[in-house]
Amino acid sequence: MKKYQLGEFEEIVILTIGILNNRAYSVSIKDEIESRLKRTVSFGALHTALKRLEEKGYLKAFVGESTEERAGRPRQYFEITAMGKKAMQYAKETRDELWKAIPKTVLQVNLLPQYL
Amino acid sequence: MSRPAANPPKLFLRFFRSYCDPKMQGYIEGDLMEAYHRRLEKYGKRKANMQFIIDVLLLFRPGIVKSKTSYHTLNSPDMFKNYFTTGWRNLWRSKLHSTLNIVGLTFGIVCFLLISLYVFDELTFDRHHVNAERIYRVVEHKNVRGEASIIAAAGYKLGEESKHSIPEVENITRITRPGRANLVDPENPVPFQETITVGDEQFLEIFDFPLIEGDRHTALKEPASIIIDEDLAMRIFSSTDVMGKNLQFSHLDFPLKITGILKKHPRNSSFTFNSVMSMSSFYNTDYFKQNMISDWTSGNFSVYALLRQDANADSVSRKMTRLVLSNFKPDEGTKLSYSLQPLKDLHLKSADIVDGARNSNVDSIAQGNPLYITIFSFTAVFVLLIAAINYTNLTTARASGRIKEIGVRKAIGALRSNLIGQFLFESWLTTGIAFVLAIGVVSLVLPPFNQFAGKELSLFAVDYHFWLYALAAIVIIGFLSGSYSALLLSRLKPVSLLKGLKIQSIGDLSVRTGLVIFQFTISIVMIIGTIVLLLQVNYLNNSDLGFNKDLMVVIDVNTGAARSNFEVIKDQMTKVPSVKNVSVTSRVPGEWKSIRTVKLRAEGGTDEDLISYLIGADKDFMKTFEVTLLQGRNFREAYDSSSIIVNETAAKMLNITEASEQTVEIADVSRGGAYSPLDALFKPRVIGIVKDFHFQSLRDKIQPLILAYNNNPIHVIDYYSVRIEPTDIPATLEKLKAIMVKQDVDEPFEYHFLDEQLALFYVEDGRRQTLLGWAAMSTIFIACLGLFGLATYSTEQRIKEIGVRKVLGATAVGLVSLLSRDFLKLVLIANAIAFPISWWATNRWLQEYAYHIDVEWWMFVLAGVLALAIALLTVGYQAIKAAVANPVNSLRSE
Repeated sequence: MKKYQLGEFEEIVILTIGILNNRAYSVSIKDEIESRLKRTVSFGALHTALKRLEEKGYLKAFVGESTEERAGRPRQYFEITAMGKKAMQYAKETRDELWKAIPKTVLQVNLLPQYL
Repeated sequence: MSRPAANPPKLFLRFFRSYCDPKMQGYIEGDLMEAYHRRLEKYGKRKANMQFIIDVLLLFRPGIVKSKTSYHTLNSPDMFKNYFTTGWRNLWRSKLHSTLNIVGLTFGIVCFLLISLYVFDELTFDRHHVNAERIYRVVEHKNVRGEASIIAAAGYKLGEESKHSIPEVENITRITRPGRANLVDPENPVPFQETITVGDEQFLEIFDFPLIEGDRHTALKEPASIIIDEDLAMRIFSSTDVMGKNLQFSHLDFPLKITGILKKHPRNSSFTFNSVMSMSSFYNTDYFKQNMISDWTSGNFSVYALLRQDANADSVSRKMTRLVLSNFKPDEGTKLSYSLQPLKDLHLKSADIVDGARNSNVDSIAQGNPLYITIFSFTAVFVLLIAAINYTNLTTARASGRIKEIGVRKAIGALRSNLIGQFLFESWLTTGIAFVLAIGVVSLVLPPFNQFAGKELSLFAVDYHFWLYALAAIVIIGFLSGSYSALLLSRLKPVSLLKGLKIQSIGDLSVRTGLVIFQFTISIVMIIGTIVLLLQVNYLNNSDLGFNKDLMVVIDVNTGAARSNFEVIKDQMTKVPSVKNVSVTSRVPGEWKSIRTVKLRAEGGTDEDLISYLIGADKDFMKTFEVTLLQGRNFREAYDSSSIIVNETAAKMLNITEASEQTVEIADVSRGGAYSPLDALFKPRVIGIVKDFHFQSLRDKIQPLILAYNNNPIHVIDYYSVRIEPTDIPATLEKLKAIMVKQDVDEPFEYHFLDEQLALFYVEDGRRQTLLGWAAMSTIFIACLGLFGLATYSTEQRIKEIGVRKVLGATAVGLVSLLSRDFLKLVLIANAIAFPISWWATNRWLQEYAYHIDVEWWMFVLAGVLALAIALLTVGYQAIKAAVANPVNSLRSE
């Protein structure tokens, strides 16, 4: 079993929360991902990911201020827990290791069009 | 920042709220709002709305939809045990109401089970054959110059060739019932008059009539074989161990060997034959060889085909039509086609189909009446519904006693669905108890019920499907009776429940009154139905038929000697001192076998052919049957063979006002089915007119009738009708029998009393009337149980009010009227609804009869007053008890 489980989309979400640092709540996370990665994110996918990350203990939620714009509903801010940080680190390290293990030729050949 | 006025689509917002996990709902809804308002400013309302809807739909996913798993543990066996305990305690706590509920439901279920057994039996006729689904009866449709006939019969070759040339036909069998004859054991010659049934060797392969002894594949193969049923064996041989013994039909010159013993037919079989002889017995006769080789359309055979699994009956019947038409060319103007009737439709859907054995002296296949099946099914469901309504009404009315319990359950964390489950569980518990009781009652009352319904119903021998349906009905009824109170009570808010607030709207009064009105409407409709049915059956049995049916013995003529020597026999019968009159006829009024019809026209006339029934009768007919001669004269001896007497209807049809020897021409005769020409044109003279009399059942209008002299060329005599004195009837019968037997020892002396025979026409009506009457009584009884419960409850509720009123000087009478007024109002409304419904329904039913009573206002009034009186008695008891009680008792506690 893996030490830290972090799905692809979950990884993007947790990284974005790191970027936003203290200003991370669902709408801002959505906007950030959409503007940086040029992909649309639905609230459904986002909230599911946030909930899973929270359940895994990588995120901690706290209740923020409510605005008129939100029809009086409070914002739910997220911050990364210590375990979350370890998980991010772990994910990055494993990727790097894998990258390093790839023979250079593979990448070169694969990056060239076949017919050349 | 100004807040935009627009709001997201309400419907979807509500949808989101309904599914979202409450823990996340606030935040996500906030997100949705924020996003919505931003989009609203950026793109406008339409796009924002669209995006909102998409967001909501995309949010509908496992992580966000609220999960049920956390609550499921509540439905553990322990919780059910708790439901059971509370339900049980609740039943015991209010014994009166539990009794009312259970008695009502038991009654309802008993009626339901009995009627269902009856209906189920009718609906499952002929299903006991393994291949019943694939067996079809061949039905011939013939149209001769606009004259259509549908007969369940076909020719010999159709059965022979279909099997070879139509691949979908797996097997096919023919049977024929040519008439009746004496069946005798040559070793012990006592004649038994039996119907002859002849079947080919496939008969027992297609049908699964069980054989006690003998091999079904070979029993009907050999010539001169016969299979008989156990009853007949017992009658002839006083034993069923008769394999290999001989029997002989009086009309055949060779004995038949018994090759099989049939089990008795179940009651729900359309087939009633008690013997089948092998068709191969005739294969070598000259008659068979000459006629059957080209017999495509004689209609002498009932043909049953077993089709292959995936065959389409319509296309097979078209192939049969083509097969016949390619071998046989019908006359000019005659259309001929065949259809296949499923075996399961034989009993209920053969109303327009003439039986194949129409030409012979045998009873046609008995028919069921689909109209009554419908009426009974509705009745069964209604009785059950009424019982269910009782439960609903009583439970909701008494719900206030359980408010604290519901409040506590809710406060501890019971969900609405848990409470609904609990209440449904309780209603199932009650219905379950009632069901068990009902099964006990049904098994007690089944024997008398069977006797009266003429069935052999059994709760335990019935097909398991019946139990599946019955159990499903009980579960549904438990659900229906519990669901209203469950929904209503589980809706209440726990806070108000625990605060002990009086909940005004509990048990929504309007729903309850609606249900009571519904109950009484049905009860009143059924009372009116019963009254009308009762009067109609009474009318049928007692109305003036135009002839005297009392003390009339009708003796069948079964042998040639009894027919040719009729003058001697008649003479001897007349000499018996207790005999008043004797007449010989071809058919008798109130006939149960088919009466022949003829086509006639005035002599030389070129008009359309007229149709009339014809009965052969002697000169004593009018005297014996006490039919009134209006005009002309009676038959005289000997030279009147070309005279006829007509009834009023026939006279009107022929435009005759005075009988003056007008000559009519009769060229064609029908024995029920198509017309065939006579050997020679019959040209009788009209010598008299008789008053119309009901020679058929009162279901039919009086038709034109010709009385021809007894030696007419159309129908020879078939009966002796003997009017006797009421004293010592058995002795008279003995003497008559002696006279008949002296003429021919083989004469089995079959007789009926005419009035009993006529009553048979209406015996089914009588049964239905009784059945419906009982059902009506049950409904009103059950409805009254419910009313009693409600009245008890409402007087209990108002006990203080009554006390105060009494102290202030209200009289007992005033109080009784105050308490019963509300309920009586409901019954009156029910009357108003029930009257038009029953007026419509009874009128429709009476249309079945050409002669019927009129539906009159007093029947409605009687039913209405009856219902009102019963309701008044029920409510009044409670009201009087409350009104005469000492107010001190009710007021002292506060």
